[in-house]
Amino acid sequence: MIGSTIYNWSLIWTYHGQLLDGLFVALKVALTALVLSVAAGLVLAVWRMARPPISWPAALYINIFRGIPALVSAIWVYFGWSLVLGIKLTVYQAAVVALVLLYSAYLSEIFRAALLAIARGQREAGLALGIRRRQVFVRVIIPQAARIALPNIGSMLIGMVKDTSTFMVIGLVEVVYVSENIVNATFEPFVIYTAAAALYIFVAFIIDFVFRVLESAVGGRASGRMAMLLTARRRRRLERLAQGGSDVAEIYEPLGAV
Amino acid sequence: MADLTESMADLTASTSSARRARWFSSAQETRLGVRQVGKVEYGNERSVVPNTINGAGLARDEGPPAVELCDIHKSYGTVEVLHGVSLTVRQGEHVVIFGPSGSGKSTMLRVMNLLEVPQSGSVKAFGVEYGSARGNGVVRGTALQLRRTVGMVFQQFNLFPHLTAIENIVLPLRKVKGLSRKDAEARAADGLQSVGLRKWAAHYPGELSGGQQQRVAIARALSLDPRVMLFDEPTSALDAEVVGEVLIVMRKLAEMGMTMVIVTHELNFAREVGDLNVFIEHGVIVESGNRNIYDSPVSERTHRFLRAVL
Repeated sequence: MIGSTIYNWSLIWTYHGQLLDGLFVALKVALTALVLSVAAGLVLAVWRMARPPISWPAALYINIFRGIPALVSAIWVYFGWSLVLGIKLTVYQAAVVALVLLYSAYLSEIFRAALLAIARGQREAGLALGIRRRQVFVRVIIPQAARIALPNIGSMLIGMVKDTSTFMVIGLVEVVYVSENIVNATFEPFVIYTAAAALYIFVAFIIDFVFRVLESAVGGRASGRMAMLLTARRRRRLERLAQGGSDVAEIYEPLGAV
Repeated sequence: MADLTESMADLTASTSSARRARWFSSAQETRLGVRQVGKVEYGNERSVVPNTINGAGLARDEGPPAVELCDIHKSYGTVEVLHGVSLTVRQGEHVVIFGPSGSGKSTMLRVMNLLEVPQSGSVKAFGVEYGSARGNGVVRGTALQLRRTVGMVFQQFNLFPHLTAIENIVLPLRKVKGLSRKDAEARAADGLQSVGLRKWAAHYPGELSGGQQQRVAIARALSLDPRVMLFDEPTSALDAEVVGEVLIVMRKLAEMGMTMVIVTHELNFAREVGDLNVFIEHGVIVESGNRNIYDSPVSERTHRFLRAVL
């Protein structure tokens, strides 16, 4: 040990229940906000890609809310909305709304980049086949854009989980709020905050893993054991359909090259 | 369509008849019958059609018109790329559009399924006017309806890379034809078989050669029973050694009597299948006519182009 202080690491075990409860709240807020932000971000991205006068409100929104820190957003939503607009939200709702306001703006830029990366011919091919615009977007463009956007969505989710830590100011009982309480009772800030940090890191690793699997499972041939497992049924079905055609293909190919 | 398969099977020699793909399920037989009539007409030897300048193909009196472009003007921004182009594609006919880069030939093709919306002029298919109405009381079809009549094959194939070969065909069959997954998969498998690629059904486009990808793209477009097929430089992005396999498929399709409009630089192929051959430059049809256009063009410009290319 450096210095003379003896750290009581067993406190972590003593209070692990409370810490995990806090983590559960943080995850609940972050995941709810993620789902809503993805939906809102997609709408914003499409809106932002419209013709200039129409796209302006979306551009303005994105630039405003990308610029606000989570702490400010939470205070503004929780206290400000009830004072000025008379909208009373619960702490949980306010936390989710605060995150959605910010992250829908971030995500919309991620989605816009992903959508722009899809070759124009993809949309044209879908339309030329007589598929409706909306279906082309949903079935052709979105799946391809998703693969591009997924790693960034994962990063955003990690950011959201971390940003929940500032919501103790509006009274959200998440990891930092719980930690603060434990520290007040035990006077062991180093131990408790190390535990809190470990929890955040653990969550970041899990999120990274989940998004890696998702990434390798969508938008093309699955790679990696988990992704293979997830797509096994579909793959088997398609391979069955491929059976019975081998002879023609084999004979045909050399001829085709003539 | 069964013809395509059978011709392919002849090509592939020892294929047993049991393995021959049925392009379409029995539900489509009625429509096939109609098309066979067109084929019979096509089968008759055509009279030699004199070359005509501009009023493309007006002298021809073959089948009823399939696609008609009339006085199409198309601009991008302030640049007009098509200066009042008119073209009639008749049923069962194979029209080849050729010309130098930037001449507007691809644009002209893309107007035929309204991927490009012209500033003025009319787009008609099988007697129906398509595109947004301009208040003249004519009943118009929508772009969607037009595209469900007219199939298209692209230079860059444009297969959906996130879907396997067979799923590329299943998706439009489900969304356009409203087939169940099971029916769509069965039909898509037949479609792949007829271009000799059923074995590759579960492969992604990225795992196929360019020639294979283009054949999947052709099968995909054909699976929706289009009455006209548009080909936008279908072999331009291919390695020389796989151009042949795509041309074989197209030749078979032509022999079956499919109405085709082909933008191509493969003038040897064009000479072989082209019933009406259109030379376009600077957004204007310079000259059009039958196969003789390649040997004895009327226009000096066509002559120079052909000499440079052939």
